[in-house]
Amino acid sequence: MKLSRESKISDEIPTSSMADIAFLLIIYFMITTTFAATQGLDFQLPQDQDETPQVEKEESVLIEIQPSGQLVVDGQPMELDRVLEYLKPKLERNPLKPVIIRPDPSAPYGAMVNVFDELRQAEEKIGLQIRNISIPTQREIEAFWF
Amino acid sequence: MDLHATKAREAVIPTATMADIAFLLIIFFMLTMTFEVDKTRVSLPETVVRMEVPKKAAYISVNEAGQIKVSSGDELSVPVAGSEDVLSFAANVVAKDPGKEFVIKADEDVPYRTVDGIIDALKRANVEVIYLLSRAEAQEGS
Repeated sequence: MKLSRESKISDEIPTSSMADIAFLLIIYFMITTTFAATQGLDFQLPQDQDETPQVEKEESVLIEIQPSGQLVVDGQPMELDRVLEYLKPKLERNPLKPVIIRPDPSAPYGAMVNVFDELRQAEEKIGLQIRNISIPTQREIEAFWF
Repeated sequence: MDLHATKAREAVIPTATMADIAFLLIIFFMLTMTFEVDKTRVSLPETVVRMEVPKKAAYISVNEAGQIKVSSGDELSVPVAGSEDVLSFAANVVAKDPGKEFVIKADEDVPYRTVDGIIDALKRANVEVIYLLSRAEAQEGS
């Protein structure tokens, strides 16, 4: 009697297609992943208080931003990298010296961020922290300033 | 002379570890992937000081043309007409979560009056902290 030889069945788990599936998923994630910007400048907004702190305009340092992005600090045109140098003696006399940033409505938003960023670096650059930075809105300026 | 019979070698590339590496990469992408609620393309201002924005913060984006979009952080951003709409949106969000952080994602060239209107609306809605989204300042020589 002629018996057919038993075919040898492999006892391995077929994993060759697993890599295909895995790489397909990798490609999907690589295409859909966006490295979104997740950092920025934090800005504490003033809260409604019973007693609104009054800041005298004469006591504070006023940084105006012109429509062209140029700065005028206490009435004098100034470059951004000179602002902290100008503020240093004032902050040494009064560490709570208020600094007001007042951008022109037509000025680019980036110019305001540059000034705010520079003021936030005061501790590293001049060794003094500016504790009182305010950016009044146009409505506040019209309501309380004039 | 004793000659050995040549053994037939199978031409197999070992792929068993490839799946391990691939799944490791998949896990990495799955863990690092963040759902971006606002896909507005803007040119962010550069800053040196940068703080990490909370993951579930509400977003207000302004593109170069001044178009404003809002998102509470849970769903995709939707366009709004102006700062009055931002005020009602922020008031609703703050009513549900009083400590909610807001992120302003504005184009660096947008006129300040647009951002001013948004900041004013957020102040009126009693928002406590806002973040001005920025990109890292390019180092000199890089």
